[in-house]
Amino acid sequence: MKIQLLSFAALKDYFPSKQELVLDGIHTVSDLKLYLRNLNPEATNLLKISRISINQTIAKDSDSLIEGSVIAILPPSSGG
Amino acid sequence: METNTQHKHITENKLELPTSFPPLPSMGGYVLFAGIVRDINDGRQVTHLEYEAYSEMANQMIADIISDTFKKWDLQFAECIHRLGKLNLGEVAVIVNTGGVHRDEAYKANRYIIDRVKHEVPIWKKEYYVDGSSEWSQGCLDDTHNH
Repeated sequence: MKIQLLSFAALKDYFPSKQELVLDGIHTVSDLKLYLRNLNPEATNLLKISRISINQTIAKDSDSLIEGSVIAILPPSSGG
Repeated sequence: METNTQHKHITENKLELPTSFPPLPSMGGYVLFAGIVRDINDGRQVTHLEYEAYSEMANQMIADIISDTFKKWDLQFAECIHRLGKLNLGEVAVIVNTGGVHRDEAYKANRYIIDRVKHEVPIWKKEYYVDGSSEWSQGCLDDTHNH
C-alpha cells in the first residue's frame, strides 16, 4: 500500500515533513504507529501522545489505512 | 504557491482588531478575545514565536467548531482566525469574536471556541528564547482548560 505521510512540529525532528511510504503488512493506524516507532525509537514518546489523521479526518487506532491516502501525524495542539 | 491565504480561519497576515461590530440589530452583547504573544512561558524569557499548522485541516476544524457553537447557543455572530508564521511579542496570534442577543451566550460561546481551538486544532507553537535556543511547545495536557 502506498501512502503519503506528513509530519508536523516536533515530529519533524524525527521524520521528514512529507514522504511517500510503501507499506507492506500494515493495515491499521495502530500498525502504522508501531512501524514508525520501530523506524525511529526516539520518537516513541511523542508518537504515543500524537493523533493521526487520514485524509484530514482524525482516525482511531483501529481504523484501516486507505490506499493512496494522505496520513498526518499530529502532536498535541499548541495554538492560541 | 503558499496556500494558507486561501483559508478563512488561518492566515499568515498580521491580525487587526475589528474596528466596528457586525451590523446585526438584534445583537446586544459582543465579546472579543485576542490571544497575544507574551514574553515569558514556564519561567523562560521568550523573544518571539512561530506558528505552524496543517492549514487545510485546521481551517475545516475551526469551521466545524463554529458550526457546533451555533448549535449550542442562540448566537448572532461567531468568528475565529489564527495567524501563522513568525510573531513578535505583543502581536495577536488568534482572535475570537462572538455576538449574541445577551452577553451570557456571547461570553460562553467565545470561551468554548478558544478552548476547543487550543486543544483540538492542528496548530503548533515554537518558542524562541533569549539564550538563542528554541523549543516546540508541548501542547496542553491539562484537561481543566484553566490556562
